[in-house]
Amino acid sequence: MSGGRRVSEAELHAFVDGELVGEEAAEVEAALATAPEDLRFARAIADLNDRLTQHYAHVLDEPIPAGMAARAARANRSGRRWPPAVTRALGIVALLLAGAAAGYAAGAFIGRGEAGRQPAFVANAFSAHQVFVPEVRHPVEVGAAEEKHLVQWLTRRLGTDVRAPELNGHGWKLVGGRLLPDRGQAAAQFMYEDATGRRLTLYVRKEAGLTDAAFRFAERGDCAAFYWIDRSLAYALAGRLERTELMQLASSIHAQLGGLSGGQG
Amino acid sequence: MRVTSRRDAVAAEIPRLRRYARALVGDSSEADDLIQDTLERALARLGQWRDGDSPRKWLFSILHNLHVDGLRRRSRRPPHVGLDSLGPDQSAPAADGASGGDLDRALQLLTADQREVVLLVGLEGLSYAETAEVLSIPIGTVMSRLARGRDRLRTLLAYGLEKEAEPAGLRRVK
Repeated sequence: MSGGRRVSEAELHAFVDGELVGEEAAEVEAALATAPEDLRFARAIADLNDRLTQHYAHVLDEPIPAGMAARAARANRSGRRWPPAVTRALGIVALLLAGAAAGYAAGAFIGRGEAGRQPAFVANAFSAHQVFVPEVRHPVEVGAAEEKHLVQWLTRRLGTDVRAPELNGHGWKLVGGRLLPDRGQAAAQFMYEDATGRRLTLYVRKEAGLTDAAFRFAERGDCAAFYWIDRSLAYALAGRLERTELMQLASSIHAQLGGLSGGQG
Repeated sequence: MRVTSRRDAVAAEIPRLRRYARALVGDSSEADDLIQDTLERALARLGQWRDGDSPRKWLFSILHNLHVDGLRRRSRRPPHVGLDSLGPDQSAPAADGASGGDLDRALQLLTADQREVVLLVGLEGLSYAETAEVLSIPIGTVMSRLARGRDRLRTLLAYGLEKEAEPAGLRRVK
């Protein structure tokens, strides 16, 4: 594509930083193939990010100073101890570092764009969405008519309370759900359909090692997703929807499920 | 969300906060003081953290505000020469070859504004939108500070590491 437009410097930064998704990212990627100067520039930025991450990685592994922990504990009148949270945080760090290393080893210079910064469950959610949504006869294993059974079954298999959020008010009815394998663990997929036949999936998986995370947006092909982590449960809501519509649905789901595992907090 | 789980969420962020603070202020005890202050303020204001919001973003913005306050206080003390005002052309190029210390020093030679953006995006992996929120600045400002900061950081590193490198060669050819 030699006639392609010149990519701006700002776009190159944005590309490396994972700010571009879908077509925008593909466009820059294509342009880089024929612009060695730009490619060098993008690599240099990615290297800089990488250098920063590696140089300060050790801080994450340092024990929390006693004074800091003590101050936090003093403020913690409920008497709950910090160590579990801190251990959990260190676990996440290990996970993040492993992920970053794997991404780097894979030879992708692109940094945290589509792959590195995105937790693995998001890719699985996209795949499961794309495989099952076109299904006419067997889109789900257990249909909405047996919702109670579905929920009990998935709760047992995931080892945590799972619920199918209610989206009728938004015009989406539950089709049903299924159990899926995800890196040796069980994951659940709920499918919804609107009056025009569009389908949405909600992917749920236990992620004990990751901290809570607010909504993040991801795209694969023409499929969009919002994903978040709430008290050790990872969610990804995927569909061929406008971002704003998807966001509304994700917010509704987040609000409905927010109190679900609150008892342990 | 319950108070305890909020506290847990805050505690879980300590390692990340420390990493950022270390890179930001360059000195580990000063960085930990900043974290202490951040935690204290955060725990005193748990109620201000809105449900559904990322604790990380909220904590980073508290840290940012405290850092800025600290810089202001320091700048009122006359004799101190702010590192932020030093450019690569004013300081002698580092002569001791490649080492991790170069990165620490080079970062401290950026303006505080540039350093924050370069680190929030490059080290902490925040999106431009999150960075803009944490620093209370428009996204366009995030992008321009990022570009300038990275440019300068690369120039500084190249000066220190490979003295023969021409700074002009680092720029993208227009």
